[in-house]
Amino acid sequence: MSLNFYRRVAFGLSPQDKLPQEPLSWALNQLNSVPDFLWKGSIPTEKELRKKYGEWVYGDREVLRKKFKNDKNAYRQAKDELRIKTGERYFELNEHAIRHYQTKYGAQPVFERFWLFWGNHFAISEKDFLAEFSTGPYQREVIRPNMVKTFEDMVQAVTTSWCMIHHLDNSESVGPNSKRGVESRDTINENHARELLELHTVSPSAGYTQEDVIQLAYIMTGWSHKWSRKTLETGDVWFDQEKHQKGDKIVLGKKYKNDAKRELAKVIHDLATHPICIKFVSTKLCRHFISDEPTEEMINPVIEAWNKSNGNLIEIHKAVITQAFKYNDTSHKFHPPEIWLMQLSRMFDLDIPLSAEKMNYAFKSKPTGRQGQLSWILREIGNSPYRAKQPNGWSDFEVDWVSPELLLRRFWFASVELPILIKSQNRSHGFILRCLKNNFEDHENMASLIHQFRFGTSDKDLGRQYGIICNLPGVLKV
Amino acid sequence: MNCTRRNFLIGGSTTLFLSGFFPKISFASMQKKNLIIISLRGGMDGLTAVPVIGDKRLKKLRKKLILEDVLKLNSDFGLHPKLEIFHQLWKEDKAAFVHATNIPYTGRSHFDGQNLMETGAHIPYKEKTGWLGRGLLASDIVGKGLAISLPMPLLLRGVPQNNNFFPSPDFVETKLIDQIYDEFKGDHNELIKSTLDTIRQRPLSMQIATDSEDRKKLALEAAKQLKDQSGPRVAVFELDGFDTHAAQGGVDGAHADELEEVNEIVKILYENLGKAFDNTLILTLTEFGRTIKQNGGYGTEHGYGSAILMAGGLLKKSQVYTDWPGLKKKELFEGRDLNSTIDSRAVYNSAMSICFNKDPEFLRREVFWGDDLPNLTEELFKI
Repeated sequence: MSLNFYRRVAFGLSPQDKLPQEPLSWALNQLNSVPDFLWKGSIPTEKELRKKYGEWVYGDREVLRKKFKNDKNAYRQAKDELRIKTGERYFELNEHAIRHYQTKYGAQPVFERFWLFWGNHFAISEKDFLAEFSTGPYQREVIRPNMVKTFEDMVQAVTTSWCMIHHLDNSESVGPNSKRGVESRDTINENHARELLELHTVSPSAGYTQEDVIQLAYIMTGWSHKWSRKTLETGDVWFDQEKHQKGDKIVLGKKYKNDAKRELAKVIHDLATHPICIKFVSTKLCRHFISDEPTEEMINPVIEAWNKSNGNLIEIHKAVITQAFKYNDTSHKFHPPEIWLMQLSRMFDLDIPLSAEKMNYAFKSKPTGRQGQLSWILREIGNSPYRAKQPNGWSDFEVDWVSPELLLRRFWFASVELPILIKSQNRSHGFILRCLKNNFEDHENMASLIHQFRFGTSDKDLGRQYGIICNLPGVLKV
Repeated sequence: MNCTRRNFLIGGSTTLFLSGFFPKISFASMQKKNLIIISLRGGMDGLTAVPVIGDKRLKKLRKKLILEDVLKLNSDFGLHPKLEIFHQLWKEDKAAFVHATNIPYTGRSHFDGQNLMETGAHIPYKEKTGWLGRGLLASDIVGKGLAISLPMPLLLRGVPQNNNFFPSPDFVETKLIDQIYDEFKGDHNELIKSTLDTIRQRPLSMQIATDSEDRKKLALEAAKQLKDQSGPRVAVFELDGFDTHAAQGGVDGAHADELEEVNEIVKILYENLGKAFDNTLILTLTEFGRTIKQNGGYGTEHGYGSAILMAGGLLKKSQVYTDWPGLKKKELFEGRDLNSTIDSRAVYNSAMSICFNKDPEFLRREVFWGDDLPNLTEELFKI
């Protein structure tokens, strides 16, 4: 087994990490519990941040736009002040810091890799102000605690979360025969129902029809945010009977009796335990950890573990890791830019994220350049995690991450930005050699490539070393 | 131009044979023709972009989405007011529209649909290359594709050495690129190797440090590259956000904002391509249109038939080219969507034929597996 296993299932070994005696059990033992967040700065709750979201949209839409409707410049200025006051420009930066602190220092890095996976499987794409206020806490409070429960539990939690409901417009969906539907002649919005089927559970290979989508949307009618004049769309999620479509519904051939809010849990149960759902999600897991095109031999043990444990995610994760271990030396996986960055950060002890004290924010001025640095890097390497373009999240295929421009961004980061992030005590050539030895079988060969630059300690000298090291074939992929 | 015409007369396999005999110089002395595709992800609403005028049924079903002051095209169709550059070009016979058209996909999934609009195939995820990439390859045009995006769009895959472009924060030393290139020499990864080849060959002018958020600069740079006689012949822009399930709006609103972006790109290309605009075709591409009826959130749902917006000097004339299916309930697809009466791949195949100087029959076989796609070159484009 080669050292790349620690990058395949985690982020490599930091200078402080001890080389595990038993790599497989080292990895498996990390999956039994949800690790606490290590971040020492502020970790606001989803509810607190939703309140801020509400202050921001209410302040802008209901107050400033009316107050300054004839003065564009004054409006712009007041809006910028409101951004600062509500943290509209800050919270996403803080969320990136929490996330990257965890992957850099966490004692259960394998768990963290699954956390990234599920957050992307149930992705929240760029919409309204979700990335600014809500996607981060959704990842922390909706995805993370469910990673030691069943897949079905996770789908239930995600589907009724404020963030997903807002993301996929379910508050807008009204049953045409419901009390509200009859009064207003409003009708359903299929967005959430379609993605629940397509992306979150059974996938199109289940062969559902447009009528299935409509029927599932009927079941989901009523699950919406509570609206009020002051909080607008940021109220808690509740089941609004007045919007719920009456009557029985049929999804994928199964009848769901008219049962108000209880219908949703029943249909989610059936979707989340559907054999095609199990195969679809198992394949995605293997794709993330083993290979772009996982074989049946790779996937089948994961499906077996799923069936045997009734969808227990701890058991499923263990089966995935066991397979990743088995195929470690015979398969290749090209990692997306954010995971690559996390690996470099851990292996070379980079100075990101910024310390909790420096990330501290007083809501009095714009976040500083340093506070925005990590988020800026993520954007420039093309992988700002909470801003996927579409609800299917970030791609897990190499071909989507290899283009002239995307590769050049990595070269740029490693040769220009990374040297600035090398801590002052780590600028000697001996340091990089130690890191390479910790993480790569062919560290001697790698060292020979940068031997000629061994005496330099300036940013430019380090850029020449790290620029090449971080973009070698065996570093870009495992 | 002559050789295009001869291609049509000679037809299929003979063309392939003969094209090898054309002295290279005859191609080089010809004006370069540019094909620009703007991908509109999310499902562009053809009825918002190019609304049918005076349809009572549409007015009734879309109470909150009706446009008050459309730009007039002809007695049947209008144009969304945010698409004003198309209106201006319409008057010069340099804008046209294909309506009630779509790829042959009725499944209403974005991701399956976007995969198919790019591969041109019938089964999602089956093909790994795009119709534009295959078209370039079949036409022996290598290294002339340019994507204005960070990733390489599926649409362009299938031909090696495409470039992409998105202004980056800083330069990368050429020496470093060479070193990494050397290290990949022994690697089995062909995709990275060929991408590194492209990086090494690309002009320095493409490495400019500027603000990548500014779409205007991107379009401006693309125009600069396309104008260059030895530069790219194909460019692909990416826009998303057309999936307006809520607050779609009419003259203003979410869909209008997106159309405004399309307008902006075309306007910049028009203003900066100069004479090269006369040898250019710009076409939009989307996965599906949207439902006739507005939904619970004053948006629309995933539908079927949409429209293709076209601009450029290679268009035959200003027209709304359509076999209009009507909007009565029984005329709609599954009683809810504008039907598609023209396979949009026929339009793209014909456009490639014009821009790549290839027989459409030949391209249809090489790129679209011989699918039944009528030749629309004479109807739509300058031959």
